[in-house]
Amino acid sequence: MKKKARRNKMKIYGDLLSILKAEKKSADKIVLTRIQSKMNVPFDRLKSYISDLEDLKLIEDQVSLNLTQKGKQYLDEYQKILDFMERMGVANR
Amino acid sequence: MGLPLGFGFLGASYAFSAFAHSYPTFSINSLAWFQLLSRPFAFAFLAFTYYFTKKTSTNTRLIGDATLSGMIVVLTSLFILFLVAPKFALDNYQFLSIYTRVFDIVCLVYITFHTIRSHLVSQDSKTILTPFGYMLIGIGQYSLLIWNIGDMNNKFPFYGGLALRWIGLVLFLIIAYRTFYGSQKRIPE
Repeated sequence: MKKKARRNKMKIYGDLLSILKAEKKSADKIVLTRIQSKMNVPFDRLKSYISDLEDLKLIEDQVSLNLTQKGKQYLDEYQKILDFMERMGVANR
Repeated sequence: MGLPLGFGFLGASYAFSAFAHSYPTFSINSLAWFQLLSRPFAFAFLAFTYYFTKKTSTNTRLIGDATLSGMIVVLTSLFILFLVAPKFALDNYQFLSIYTRVFDIVCLVYITFHTIRSHLVSQDSKTILTPFGYMLIGIGQYSLLIWNIGDMNNKFPFYGGLALRWIGLVLFLIIAYRTFYGSQKRIPE
């Protein structure tokens, strides 16, 4: 079985914000277990990442999970970096 | 970190090269040696970066980090050596420059093939400029190698090599510009 690449914090937060944004668009209510399966992490670790995002002011709170302006900006910059890496041929999505 | 470090060293080597060429005694000043030695390190950084992106296990990542760190240590040591003892092996400049250019070309051929393969996998038109950029820099290095080996009074391979290098670097600037400034419409609502 192919081993999955170890993710760093930048990638974890970027992926989580991206999933939260997509979930907000597609569903009325965010279900944490669905996010957990998309993130592929244990539930307790997902909760700690969400708590980190709140501490970093990237989301408003742990209930609504709305992205703040800073969170949207982070996500935009993160996607630009991924796009640049893909264009340079070092993409690891 | 490999890409910014690699391009950082490459930029530094080109800056050293520009300064060194402005001296009348080009081959016997330390700046010429700096540009000669820092360039293979830059291409090696880039080649290792592309090599290790294919590897996903934690162990390989550690080896990758250790390799890059080791290269920084060796490069720093060489710089210090040439600062402390600038007369070291000065007579062998032309000889060594042939080997470093061959090494540069090998690294660039590897990177070009890697980026072509990435482009073929992604099937995305926006990734096509990268292999072209590396290819042009590689052909530029080859042209400079021809100049080194052949008649050095014939300046055509020298200026041709420089022109190809600049075109390659401009392609990378275009890639960076398109990524970071050409997508304003993507700002989240």
